[in-house]
Amino acid sequence: MPKAPARPSGTPNVAAASREAFAAWVDEDPDGRVFGQILIRSASPAGYYLCHEDDARVASLELYDDPRAAREIAKLTGAGEYRPLKSSPNLRRGWELRVEDARGLAAAMDYLYPAGVVHWYLYREGRLEITDYRENAARQSGIYKRIQRLSDEGVQNAARACCEDAVCLKKTLWNVDAGTPLEMDRGNGEIPCPEPCSVFVSFARRVRLFEREKRRDLDDAGLSPSEREDLAALVEAAAGGAGGIKLAREAEFEEPLNERRLRYRKLTLLPKLRPEESPKE
Amino acid sequence: MKALVIVGHGSHLNEDSSLPVYEHAARIRERFGDEYEEVVECFWKEEPSMRHVLDTVESEDVSVVPAFISEGYFTQQVIPRELGLAGPVTRKDGKTIRYAGPLGTYQGMADVILERAEDLLGDKEVPPGRRALVLLGHGTDLNKSSGGVIYLNAGRIRERGLYDLVEVGFLDQDPQIGAVVENLEAENVVLIPVFIAEGWHTRETIPEDLGLTGEVTRRGSKTIFYGAPVGTHPSMAPLIAARAREAERETEIAQSPR
Ligand code: SF4
Repeated sequence: MPKAPARPSGTPNVAAASREAFAAWVDEDPDGRVFGQILIRSASPAGYYLCHEDDARVASLELYDDPRAAREIAKLTGAGEYRPLKSSPNLRRGWELRVEDARGLAAAMDYLYPAGVVHWYLYREGRLEITDYRENAARQSGIYKRIQRLSDEGVQNAARACCEDAVCLKKTLWNVDAGTPLEMDRGNGEIPCPEPCSVFVSFARRVRLFEREKRRDLDDAGLSPSEREDLAALVEAAAGGAGGIKLAREAEFEEPLNERRLRYRKLTLLPKLRPEESPKE
Repeated sequence: MKALVIVGHGSHLNEDSSLPVYEHAARIRERFGDEYEEVVECFWKEEPSMRHVLDTVESEDVSVVPAFISEGYFTQQVIPRELGLAGPVTRKDGKTIRYAGPLGTYQGMADVILERAEDLLGDKEVPPGRRALVLLGHGTDLNKSSGGVIYLNAGRIRERGLYDLVEVGFLDQDPQIGAVVENLEAENVVLIPVFIAEGWHTRETIPEDLGLTGEVTRRGSKTIFYGAPVGTHPSMAPLIAARAREAERETEIAQSPR
């Protein structure tokens, strides 16, 4: 069996301590707290109400009272798309969940933002262990081993494309490595991200494949085959008129019309297409 | 306090892979909640990740059961590495974590396969003639135990004498499932995928390759009954709990003073 690497430490009952601390944090504010896209308000005499932050004033919400209903709530977007990344800002609206106590609150939150509460707690306590990209990559095997060779610049662009608040509400705390901080807007939310997640690892693999192709196969205009493919797919889709552009699924990085893939293109392809507009380093 | 952690593969694209893990977890909470006060799901490709799940567990006594059919890359490399396990028993952060083996080799697996087959035939008219049970495995050239688990269960079922024939077939190794079904000398063929979840193979490639039109396909003198994957059967829940108990027993024996 391979040697177990160091991982975020928890002392006994970090789970219990985080649950109580989180409930107390919510209780402290009479207007409630926003965590990710959830507004949490304490109820009197006991318990909590949870809803989408944009539904704070909506009266006709679908009511749930089982914390485990949170899993169904978190599963699909409003448009019925599967949500592989729960911290994506695409939580559906239209529901209210009532839980009895701190335990119910933690159980619900664990489905809405898995491990979010415990990470929030450890971060506040100054005890959240961060795993940088290089350390995470060193652990990878199989088809993800190749992310070890992603350049620092590739990691930076992948993080900007994959982790900013427009696509993930977590506050990105990890870096490329100890000496190379991420140069991005790390986000303002309450949920810390201590380590590249599996969606990021999968995206990093795609970006590494882009990097490899670049050196070998640039055409006269300096475009790589996959860049040409993405441009062609975009033109084709947009030519279909309004409603023509249907984005690929959130983590379907092999598809040209994937949002994170296009965000990466914006960072790396747009400067090639419009050199005069790109900021001088 | 005792916790049972079920590890699933998970998927970035749909809920097929994680759904049975969630459903079995819910069943275990319902039926064995007194025994396991916490029943927690975690995944390779979904959240919570294996990497972080133990932080969310309150119990000191934790059993980890991989929702995988066979021993291999995931159960031997990925899961121990991501959960930070050092072997069958790991002590860290005030927790004792016992790591159970995969589900396919466990004795009870043969019963779940048979139940799946019975459920499939239960409400259907079965033509007279011989009945063959075919266990369908993924198989791969890289991993011998992936096929071994299928043979193991076929052997256990054969011993019970409930079917005229018990055969195995694979997607990615010999004997290929198409040829196995084609050459079987039985009027009724009951085909059960020994997979942990529904997915692209069970929904698309298998029916397509075998020309199946649904649960029941009649072709010439043969009737083929195609079952759902064994891993989604409700009886997998008690099997997972039993697997955890066994890991607890085994490691107790290993640790008891001689
Ligand atoms: S690695 Fe990026 S995408 Fe993944 S959870 Fe962290 S911030 Fe979000």
